[in-house]
Amino acid sequence: MPAGLDNLKHIVVLMMENRSFDHMLGGLKKDYSKINGLTGNESNPDVNGTIVPVQANAKFQGQLDHDPDHHFPGVDLQIFGGTAPGPGRVANMQGFIKSYATQGSDINASHAIMSYFAPKSLPVLTKLATEYALFNGWFSSIPGPTICNRAFAHYGTSFGNVDMNLFYIQDPILSIYERMVKAGHTAKIYYYDQQSSTMEIVNLLKNQPQIFGSYSQFVADCKGNTLPEYSFIEPCYNDHPGPGGGQILASDQHPDHNVQEGEVLIANTYNAIRTNQALWETTALLVVYDEHGGLYDHVVPPACQSDGYSASADKTGTGAPFNFDRLGIRVPAILVSPYIPRGTVVPGTEDSSGLIFEHACIPGTVTNFFLKNYDQRTVREKNSRNFLTPLTDTLRHDDDCWVFDV
Amino acid sequence: MREKMKKKYKLVMKVPKTPKRAYNHNRFISSLIEHQIKHFSEVEKSLLKPGQKLTDISKIKTELHASKYLKKMTARLHPQGAGKTKMVAQPSNAKKAAKRKTKRKLVKRKSR
Repeated sequence: MPAGLDNLKHIVVLMMENRSFDHMLGGLKKDYSKINGLTGNESNPDVNGTIVPVQANAKFQGQLDHDPDHHFPGVDLQIFGGTAPGPGRVANMQGFIKSYATQGSDINASHAIMSYFAPKSLPVLTKLATEYALFNGWFSSIPGPTICNRAFAHYGTSFGNVDMNLFYIQDPILSIYERMVKAGHTAKIYYYDQQSSTMEIVNLLKNQPQIFGSYSQFVADCKGNTLPEYSFIEPCYNDHPGPGGGQILASDQHPDHNVQEGEVLIANTYNAIRTNQALWETTALLVVYDEHGGLYDHVVPPACQSDGYSASADKTGTGAPFNFDRLGIRVPAILVSPYIPRGTVVPGTEDSSGLIFEHACIPGTVTNFFLKNYDQRTVREKNSRNFLTPLTDTLRHDDDCWVFDV
Repeated sequence: MREKMKKKYKLVMKVPKTPKRAYNHNRFISSLIEHQIKHFSEVEKSLLKPGQKLTDISKIKTELHASKYLKKMTARLHPQGAGKTKMVAQPSNAKKAAKRKTKRKLVKRKSR
């Protein structure tokens, strides 16, 4: 085992909201040819048939005030360009503008779905992506919205759910936190604060409040060397007043929340680990997005192993059932550790020997690392890729790793 | 802070601040927050005691409304989560009020 894994004591996952790989990091391809981003020639037709290319004109806020559709039928349109489900249909990633146009935006406004950020606009994400390991092939687990995708990060399955509705966990599958705690390990979900709270309400917050903490506790735990072995961080999901007349901004980057505030959250989370030397050398931080939020990505989501569930045609809304055998759209995913060489890129579908990751890899990797043999989970999770493979034997010198001034 | 960091660390990168105008608690809630509220309402229903009234979540329209309901429900399920939160911006009135408070304290101390 590489020294990076031998010394690893903590895994931290920060899951952001609703941005695609190309939208956030596609612009990096120009200077980093190994990154499977945008050439500038990628395009989609609008509803008039005009070909609209990708453009580096994404704005921090105000450009996507109609939340782009990312529910199951909308994502189906985005991936298949409007061809109805049936044998032989081909995924072409040509339905993004068509999908956004159905939401009442005028033709010009619908083109915004093809926008992406220039790397200099996102200094924190860009710095982490180019300094540590960037996954070219990390996909959301379901071509659908937040709740079912986040479920994969907690349970390795959504129990057949493809939408935002309530779902209940089914025996014998436990959340990654329960698995850890039952086996004598430590794990926590840190929500931002009580006004923002968590998205894991019915199954976890209601029944197991002891596994929760707030973001301020996460920072204190990093400082006080009391960080659990596994931590999952939720961003702030809404704007709300803070104590003493202050203001707390949503940091989830969900459209139309300000993207810069998400950068601040990512930087603060990184700093909390980075500025405690003992913790820094024993922690791996994964920054990942739950799903693409309706925003353009050029990579066709690949087929995947089913998790054994099926969603009926009335649940999917496409007129066809879904057997959880295709992944959702690609999202940014960056692994941070001082044991990762600068500029590591984990190849994805662009490479015949590339590796495919999705959110079931999160409980899969954490379970395999801390609990070793654990059987009570879906076959999909059991067979999921280990996202810790970029960790090597070599510890980077402290002077070779950045700190953010937030 | 930056000077202190620069002394300790070789590679320090400044992160741009989010503009204050980004804040808008009157923004209408997204489908995500709407569903978060619905899930909490289910929990509230299950915890309801005889005579207690369920919160009318149809009145929750803005992020401010949502944050108040989420705080109420989260505090009920996880009171340990009430802690200090880092604020990104202080409105000018609050800043002035804080300054006035500090001044008053200093005057009191001096007069002792």
